[in-house]
Amino acid sequence: MAATSNQTIAAAEKGAPGKAVRVARPPASRAGMMPASVLDRAGRGNLLYVLPGLVVYAAFVFLPILAAVAVSLTTWDGLSRPIFVGLQNYIDLFSDGNFYISLRNNAELILFYAVLPLIVGIGLAALISVTRQRERLVLRTLLFMPYIMPTAVLGIIWAWLYNPAFGPFNQFLKAIGLGRIALPWLGDFTWVLPAVGMVAVWYFFGFCMVIFLTGMQRIDPQLFDAAKVDGARGWHAFLYITLPSLLPEIRVVLLLTVIASIKSFDLIFTMTRGGPGNATLVPNIYMYQLGFQLNRYGYAAAVAIIGAILIFIVNYAIHRLVRPMDKAAS
Amino acid sequence: MPRTHKSLVKVALAGAALGLMVAASGGARADSLVVWDQYTDTGQPQVMQKLIKNFEKAHQGVTINETERTFDDLSMTLKLTVAAGNGPEVTQVNQGASDQGTMVKQKLLEPLDAYAKKYGWDKRQSASVLARSEWSDKHQFGEGHLYGISGLGEMVGLFYNQKVLSDAGIAKPPADFDELLKDVDTLKAKGVTPFVIGTAKGHLALHMLTGIEQAHIDASKRAALDNVIYGRGGTFKTKQDLDASTLVQKWAKNGDFNDGYQGISGDDAVQLFVAGQGAFLIDGTWYFGAMQTNPDIHFMPIPAPADISKPLTVGGIDLSWSITTNAKTQAQKDLSAQFIDYMVSPEAANTWAGAGFFPSTPVTDPSVVKSPLLKEGLAMWKVLGQNNALGHYADWASPTMLKTYDDDMPHLLAGDMTPQAFVDALDADYQNYLKTGK
Repeated sequence: MAATSNQTIAAAEKGAPGKAVRVARPPASRAGMMPASVLDRAGRGNLLYVLPGLVVYAAFVFLPILAAVAVSLTTWDGLSRPIFVGLQNYIDLFSDGNFYISLRNNAELILFYAVLPLIVGIGLAALISVTRQRERLVLRTLLFMPYIMPTAVLGIIWAWLYNPAFGPFNQFLKAIGLGRIALPWLGDFTWVLPAVGMVAVWYFFGFCMVIFLTGMQRIDPQLFDAAKVDGARGWHAFLYITLPSLLPEIRVVLLLTVIASIKSFDLIFTMTRGGPGNATLVPNIYMYQLGFQLNRYGYAAAVAIIGAILIFIVNYAIHRLVRPMDKAAS
Repeated sequence: MPRTHKSLVKVALAGAALGLMVAASGGARADSLVVWDQYTDTGQPQVMQKLIKNFEKAHQGVTINETERTFDDLSMTLKLTVAAGNGPEVTQVNQGASDQGTMVKQKLLEPLDAYAKKYGWDKRQSASVLARSEWSDKHQFGEGHLYGISGLGEMVGLFYNQKVLSDAGIAKPPADFDELLKDVDTLKAKGVTPFVIGTAKGHLALHMLTGIEQAHIDASKRAALDNVIYGRGGTFKTKQDLDASTLVQKWAKNGDFNDGYQGISGDDAVQLFVAGQGAFLIDGTWYFGAMQTNPDIHFMPIPAPADISKPLTVGGIDLSWSITTNAKTQAQKDLSAQFIDYMVSPEAANTWAGAGFFPSTPVTDPSVVKSPLLKEGLAMWKVLGQNNALGHYADWASPTMLKTYDDDMPHLLAGDMTPQAFVDALDADYQNYLKTGK
């Protein structure tokens, strides 16, 4: 009945702001009346609709994580029965030189996965945001394109580009007389990590740029007008208005790219397999080698668990340290 | 409802008939085999297809389901798949502690002694060759029950480009090790790349190092090497290991390798060598397919010091054919053994040789051997058999040895690991294996 619905609305409006308003029960269904949606039903009935997603999540994410924790407490060669060893794998991990090398390499890679694309992304977004609509659209699309390619394919293609005998980079350097710096990029202990990192920068900068462009559209143009009146130049406006307003986007970008860098496997695997020596060894590659080449699945699982804990810690740090100015946005 | 009732009866009858058929077919005959192999190099898949077709023709009603995988992929997937009860009945397995040894320990492979006697395999391949697929009940490598037999032989030797050598003023290939060292200097002085090598992927550096080491061991003194490889004890800290590591490091430092070798793969290096970009390349007979496109390229044993009359050559046999425990019935096992017997038969050997590849069973029809490279290789193989001078792949020594070599060779070649430290690292790996068994 219309009267009843109005009562419901009136009751809601009367409710003081901040105080929980009691949701009126939907009226019984009668011919001619709008039936109440099943989604409005309170509580347990809704669990039924969450269940499929929950089952998939449990089967493919939660249970495997539990299994990995269980395996990490054993010594297992993949074939015979696992032998329970308690926390021995974790204790061995603490004195494992290769593990620390992999963590150090990963820390260096975070520079190329997160920091550099972020800087390049913000810079490009600032430049592009002042262009005309059509040019902005074209530039945005072109610069975003690296992100849509699968990283494994990128690894194979860039490995060929870097090839000192057949690849175009070194041939170009030799052709313009810079043969002395035509190094074997993926075979050189010093340069292999930056070389792999550059591919990550190329991959992520367009993605970062698009996110920052969106963020910049959020900024109230009146702020810039006020700044102009106060005599602030373009660079000052960028530093004191744009950057702080972009903190939510910076946080999102940092979270996503840091997670990507700790998860990185396919790019490094297709380019260097962790070599030469252990120069590009990262925890995920170490885990792969331990499991599939050395048949130490328990130890590999311990590496995986520690890696996951590290992701949580780093992301929590970013979450805490990069706080936007207005509380509502967090 | 009569219509439904009739349909139900029809379905029940069909089901019973199907059940009877299934029961009948699972009986005394096996009519299909799942086969895994790693014949992925240029030219090899075609030979396998031909052999499989011949086998199916000779065994009417039998279908072979064959899958090829690269060496790395096969190693990675085989053990887990067979342990789970899936996968092939017949497969190639890499010898040594890591793959074949582990599978034997977990009872995933069938012993083949009865079949070897039935088909006379010991008359086709020598005892020292067959020993490489043997594991005893006490899990001792190199003796006991036979778990596989190989179709192809392999040797690591010196590929040389006669035209590049002649152009640099060297009339014939080096006759002994000192001449090789002199030739390297001569080539370098003339601006020709002495060695073509690539270390980013593949194992060319390992083969160069161990090839030189074993060329300094006479067959009469081979017991120490055999003991190390078969896990009976010994050490990697030998004079020839240290000398070879020092020499290879010196060559890398001197620029005797092609520019940028650290960044290219072994396959790339072979391509460069076939294109005439260097004088020597040390690696194995599996590259014959690629090398035979350049008629100036020849193959010879790595020249040994003059005082060693029967130098060892690194090599052996390719991955051995084995029967897994997925062959559950006697009929399946027998069919699997028939397939393997065909793979190591003289007929198969002639087919491989005709395509330019190196069979481990002797070739009975010399006219099929058209490739000059293969003629050279087969002549070498004969001498090695007579001299009992077939060496070993050093990475067979422990399950982790290959990884230890892969991790440390780049440092040795780059000069930031001393040869002594390198040899010590290998020995530490081996001693750990002897102590702990893993």
